[in-house]
Amino acid sequence: MILSCKDIYKSFGGIKAIDGCSFTVAEKKITGIIGPNGSGKTTMFNVISKLIKPDSGTIEFKGQDVTGLKDYELAKMGVSRTFQDVKLFQNLTIREHLQIAMSDTDEKLLSNIFRGKEGDAQKIKEVMELVGLDKPLDTYGNDLSYGQRKLLDLAIAIAKPHTLLMLDEPVAGVNPRLRDSIKDILRELNSRGESILLIEHDMNFVMDLVDHIFVMDAGKVIAEGAPEEIQNNPCVLEAYLGGSEEGTKCL
Amino acid sequence: MIISAYQTHIFILIFIYIILAVSLNLALGYTGLLNLGHVAFYGIGAYTSALLAIEGMPYLAAMIIAGLFASVFGYLLVTATDRLKGDYLAMATLGFSFVVYSLLLNLREITRGAMGIPGIPKPSILGLTVRTNDQYLIFVLLICAISVFIMYRIVKSPFGKLLEANRDNAVCLRVLGKNTFGLKYKAMMISAFFAGISGSLYAHYITFIDPTSFYISELILILTIVIVGGLASIKGSIVATAVIIYVPEILRTLDLPSSVLGPVRQALYAAILIAILMLRPRGIFGKVDLE
Amino acid sequence: MSLLAQSIINGLITGSIYALVAAGYSLIYSTNNFMHFAHGISVVAAGYMVYWLFTLAGTPFYVTCIITVILSALFGLAMYRLIYLPLQRKGASNVILLIASIGILTFFQNVIQIAFGSGVKLIGYIEVAKGITFAGITMTLLQIVILVISFIIFIMLYQFMQRTKLGRNMRAVSNNKELASIVGINHIRVSDFSFLIGSGLAGVAGILVALEQNLSPLMGTNLMIKGFTGAVIGGINYVPGSIVGSFLLGLAENLGILVLPSGYKDAIAFSMLFLFLLFKPNGILGKKEGRFDK
Ligand SMILES: Nc1ncnc2c1ncn2[C@@H]1O[C@H](COP(=O)(O)OP(=O)(O)OP(=O)(O)O)[C@@H](O)[C@H]1O
Ligand SMILES: [Mg+2]
Repeated sequence: MILSCKDIYKSFGGIKAIDGCSFTVAEKKITGIIGPNGSGKTTMFNVISKLIKPDSGTIEFKGQDVTGLKDYELAKMGVSRTFQDVKLFQNLTIREHLQIAMSDTDEKLLSNIFRGKEGDAQKIKEVMELVGLDKPLDTYGNDLSYGQRKLLDLAIAIAKPHTLLMLDEPVAGVNPRLRDSIKDILRELNSRGESILLIEHDMNFVMDLVDHIFVMDAGKVIAEGAPEEIQNNPCVLEAYLGGSEEGTKCL
Repeated sequence: MIISAYQTHIFILIFIYIILAVSLNLALGYTGLLNLGHVAFYGIGAYTSALLAIEGMPYLAAMIIAGLFASVFGYLLVTATDRLKGDYLAMATLGFSFVVYSLLLNLREITRGAMGIPGIPKPSILGLTVRTNDQYLIFVLLICAISVFIMYRIVKSPFGKLLEANRDNAVCLRVLGKNTFGLKYKAMMISAFFAGISGSLYAHYITFIDPTSFYISELILILTIVIVGGLASIKGSIVATAVIIYVPEILRTLDLPSSVLGPVRQALYAAILIAILMLRPRGIFGKVDLE
Repeated sequence: MSLLAQSIINGLITGSIYALVAAGYSLIYSTNNFMHFAHGISVVAAGYMVYWLFTLAGTPFYVTCIITVILSALFGLAMYRLIYLPLQRKGASNVILLIASIGILTFFQNVIQIAFGSGVKLIGYIEVAKGITFAGITMTLLQIVILVISFIIFIMLYQFMQRTKLGRNMRAVSNNKELASIVGINHIRVSDFSFLIGSGLAGVAGILVALEQNLSPLMGTNLMIKGFTGAVIGGINYVPGSIVGSFLLGLAENLGILVLPSGYKDAIAFSMLFLFLLFKPNGILGKKEGRFDK
């Protein structure tokens, strides 16, 4: 188990965004999270990556309790993530984005002042090709389209040293041809031994990619299992389509 | 010297203000720290250096300590205001400069309050005393060049890119494993350090300081400079300093009485500030917006 | 004992002037959601208007007061229409508006200094010298007038906010601009009125300040900080809160100098401002709002 979350609760005012959610992510596997809009997937990502503090619950990463860590400390331990609504750094170039993601010395002030620019041009090129972002490296974040920003966000998450990659709807808004190539990238990364956790609405995309799926609804995990089990699970149909008789038994 | 005594005076001021403006730009423009309390660091630097030098400390030591002491306040300011954002942060930092102002005014045993500190010695380095204004000009030019060079290297380095990334999107930066809190501290402390240095240069040039030199009209001046020049542009701050300090000198040709000249100049700065915000909020060389 | 009582009375008098400044400021803040720092200069400009019309030109006092309040209100409206609104239309952030308003304050401060000189000015209307002593407490007639007038104004303001349609619209806009415009409230008109009324209050404050203290061009910043501090203590987006906060500030200043040297009056205020902004930015009575990062 690379990641395990236990009994996470989080409410915003009156809204219970996460209502007792527990799950585990297996090492070197691709794990998917699906669920209707507003079911708490992104919130769960934010809780895991420490951007928001849960009301209660514990999180373990690589067997270590990381509940009390700060967001950047966890990121340094090897968690990379992307955002559903990508913003990036508007006034930095693509190259600078990737340099920041790859560097682990840029926070040291003194050694930085009198040393020239760094950045592994070869590695940058590789990542750009890997995600299929075909733009001059000097383009500013501001000047990218939504889909391009999505790709750059994926690129920096990949470029940053990590063992767990968390992707929030990586192919939303990305054209169909690129979807397939992203699928290939994820398989490739996985075959190199990376663990991946991804949120996705597109069933076709998820089902033949992931090893294991969690289904969330109203802040809870209502079902889990291999993709083929999930596809036939009445609870899942209930969550997505609503109203079936059987569905009420799920909770 | 090839320039008149009066121009020497103006150039000295310009070099002092370049350090002050560039250091504010480092915090405000590059790092996105809405600091309206920068004049407080300037004042702290001026007082520290003046008082230490009067006690007999060698000038360079006094100047460095002035910068470091201002940095300590930079650290405290970030600690105190870490959780505030937007206009509340701006007001809190403005409040900080009011607190410092009223301390300068009221800690009379140390600062002599409103009477100010006269007789601040001219700098003396390794036995050489900077006596004339021409010599001071060279001295200030040197310190200004070193300071701006250091700040330039900082903002162009990978560390500087982190500062800009923090301004654009701190959350995204933290997710990439960077300690943005540490960055904020470092940026504010560097900014305060150089403000302290420029305060020291000012104090030892004018040889008399009082709290009014470090208050809201001074704040307007440096904000105007930084915004006119453009956020996150060192070149912009340098050009704008020269223009904004030099151009109002044309007013002197109008033969206004000296009691009116000061307020006219101040009003002009304020008018320029409002005009630039309305007409060209990114300034001359700026690329980023103030948020 | 009577020293304490005297300090409390002095605190209330100072507090009522701060409260007049704060009430207008917070009325404007609560409807527009940005810091109109130049409010301080409206107060000072009103003071100088009194000096000009009454002391120099010999206009009857009551006429002077009416003209001053009207011109103050229009001055505020002009700042909104000519500077803030165009800036807002260009998408300026609150910080830009704040910086612009510090610019406006400095600009007019210097204009006043150019027009009237930097020396202090005296109005010399009601004889201030003679105090009334009662149970060991001394108050001048003027101070009693100030207290009474400000209380009347606060009650009127409260009634206005609660009972009139415009007042309710203002509160609606302050709660939610989008929602307010959905239900058909023209928020620019409401902002117009908030500037008119808020700056009119600044006019009243200016008249009272002019009578109570010596006028000087630079007093605007100080008054603004005091009014702002009072507003922050009580709750900047809630007018009654900022009035209460201003009285607390007045009391804190006057009680504080029982133990500290009198020069520390301002330091007390500035420190309170700073501390409240840090630890209780919504003030003691203010509505909760996201002031914090994260
Ligand atoms: N910062 C917040 N403040 C208040 N409510 C929030 C906040 N963030 C999320 N919520 C609420 O929590 C619930 C879960 O939101 P979340 O973004 O996690 O959903 P999601 O599963 O990612 O949905 P989608 O598939 O649409 O991205 C929603 O009802 C949302 O309105
Ligand atoms: Mg989501």
